[in-house]
Amino acid sequence: MQRTRGTYALILTLTVGLLAFSFITSAGDLGSFGTTLLSGLFLGALYFLVASGLSIIFGLMDILNFAQGAYFMVGAYVTYSLFHLEAFQGIDVNLRFPLGVVVGTIIGGVLGVVLERGLLRPLYARPIFQLVLTFGVAIVFGEGLKAIWGTEGYSWSTVTSFGIHQSQFEIFGRQFGAYRLFVVAVGVVLIVLIGLLLQRTRIGIIIRAGVEDSEMVEALGINVRAVFTMVFTLGCAVAAFGGAIAAPFLGANLGMGNAFLLPGIAVVVLGGLGSYMGTAVGSFMVGLAVAVVARFASEFLNQTVWASITPMLLLILILLLRPSGLFGKESR
Amino acid sequence: MQSTRSLPRWRRVFQSNRLYLAVLMFLVVFPHLVGWITGDSPFGVGGRPRGQSVFWQSVFIEVFILAILTMSYNLIFGFTGVISFGHALFFGLGGYILGLVLQMTDLGPEIGLVIGGVIGVAICGLLGFLMGLVSLRLRGVYFAIFTLAIAEMFFIYIGRWPLTNAEDGFALNNIPELLNSTRNRLTYYYLALVLVVLTFLFIRRLINSPTGKVLLAIRENENRAQAIGYNTLTFKLVAITLAGMMAAGAGMLHVILNKKVGPETLGLTYTVDPLLMTIIGGVGTHAGPLIGTAGLHLSERVFNREFIIGSTTINIGQNWSLILGIVFIVVVLVFPQGVVGTWARWRQRRRAARAPTEGGDV
Repeated sequence: MQRTRGTYALILTLTVGLLAFSFITSAGDLGSFGTTLLSGLFLGALYFLVASGLSIIFGLMDILNFAQGAYFMVGAYVTYSLFHLEAFQGIDVNLRFPLGVVVGTIIGGVLGVVLERGLLRPLYARPIFQLVLTFGVAIVFGEGLKAIWGTEGYSWSTVTSFGIHQSQFEIFGRQFGAYRLFVVAVGVVLIVLIGLLLQRTRIGIIIRAGVEDSEMVEALGINVRAVFTMVFTLGCAVAAFGGAIAAPFLGANLGMGNAFLLPGIAVVVLGGLGSYMGTAVGSFMVGLAVAVVARFASEFLNQTVWASITPMLLLILILLLRPSGLFGKESR
Repeated sequence: MQSTRSLPRWRRVFQSNRLYLAVLMFLVVFPHLVGWITGDSPFGVGGRPRGQSVFWQSVFIEVFILAILTMSYNLIFGFTGVISFGHALFFGLGGYILGLVLQMTDLGPEIGLVIGGVIGVAICGLLGFLMGLVSLRLRGVYFAIFTLAIAEMFFIYIGRWPLTNAEDGFALNNIPELLNSTRNRLTYYYLALVLVVLTFLFIRRLINSPTGKVLLAIRENENRAQAIGYNTLTFKLVAITLAGMMAAGAGMLHVILNKKVGPETLGLTYTVDPLLMTIIGGVGTHAGPLIGTAGLHLSERVFNREFIIGSTTINIGQNWSLILGIVFIVVVLVFPQGVVGTWARWRQRRRAARAPTEGGDV
């Protein structure tokens, strides 16, 4: 109890500190502050989509899936192609984007089943090889995408479904892209949905019990391996969904995988490996931190490089200062 | 001691290493052999570094450099059982430090090389030590995360660092004449070969020493090694520090060979390559990294062109990494012992199968 209260105080302090820092450095310019806040939430939502899979998979199966970033990329590429390919131009514009998201998510899920069933299952006795294997799969996915789509990145065309890409809204006399808000909303909805799945369903109870002690769950006569496959598939599908949702804003390129994998890992470590609550909170904290540092660095230090290395710096700091994370168990 | 007793021992060493010695002999005469066959002098044609012999020398120098890097990776991954995803950090940083000392100071090529080399190796060793110190106490996966994060951070930062021309890197022209790989490539070939042999002997000696035995024990079961009373953290730190220093040395050889320092040396490629080469060659064996490196790098050289099968053109060079990745996954799944381990096991099995029949019906 004491520890939980300390954790909430820490989260509050860090978040308020970040916001205050951003507010003060924006020197009363509410528009600039609002942009930072919104892009922080936007990044946070995307980080959550990558990190939630990482976190649950790690908690349940003890595998840190280094291929999670690659699934994000797959989602983005598939959605991009479905929206832009000549063959699909006959489909109504408003249908194409949702269709792309659905297909991207499904392909991500299918690839997730393939990875867990075909490649990881034989290796449960050798965890270090699982780690190496997911790393290898990340490379193969990246190279496969390169072979299919080429090295050039793609950016989303101006035409979009429902006009979500172009529409703007105004706060504090500054224009904001509505699409970012949409992504934030999707992220929040997913946090709630996955949370409900974990807390309110039978499968969720099994997953949570498995995180605590998967051998015990197996001893109770539950097929833990089947749950492993389901969770892995779900995690990969959610990552692909994240890529699909991000595509209209970020486009599709080969750098995306690593650009979201490392923040995703930072989120998972910050939240505490295996803690869902921690992942949800951690996503938005890392997102905010990256956005705040990015704006500060580009405005005052005139260097954009700091934004790119912020996730790594955060990860290193967390590992140094509090390796068990916010909600992690104080062990090992 | 008496010569009667030292002679058999000498012969025993010779006997047990005759395959290595044969390969070494081959590599020593290799440039001259190629020169003799193709008629191109190993010292270059017409005072310029041209011809088959010089070309193959440079290919083999690359193999030697990668072999040192891979052996250093095998020391931590194969022998100690610690997985790092940031080995390129040491490789690239070693090259950068040497390059900075040579190009940005007035020490002159020779002194600069020595000082830069010493500083680079020392810093990389220290960095490995510090990285290990903060993350090796936690469970294994944290070290993998930590190394990946630090390596990526350096890669991104140095890729945009104005002092080193950001992503273009900078040229290295302040090199001692003897090591100039354009004019004295044969010398450089032998230097790299000597360093490979020294690294190989050093790691083999280390693994056969009491320290090495503890490293192997950590790989097999760290809790047990701890229970016996070894401070496993210390031993793991020794391994990662030494590996960092060797990788830095390999990185220095790399930048001197290419006469250029660039951020690509810090990239994921130089982490992935040693990882693949170690696993494909044979994790935790002495010959594995050498076989893996030579096999993969030479086949990349051979297949790096277009193949026309029927009406389709397949450019393998373009998809080399994809093929490599798939091979890697297959090896991890089917032959986790790699080439060397699988070969040893196969031989053992064959011997076991033959043993009972020998006295019987044959």
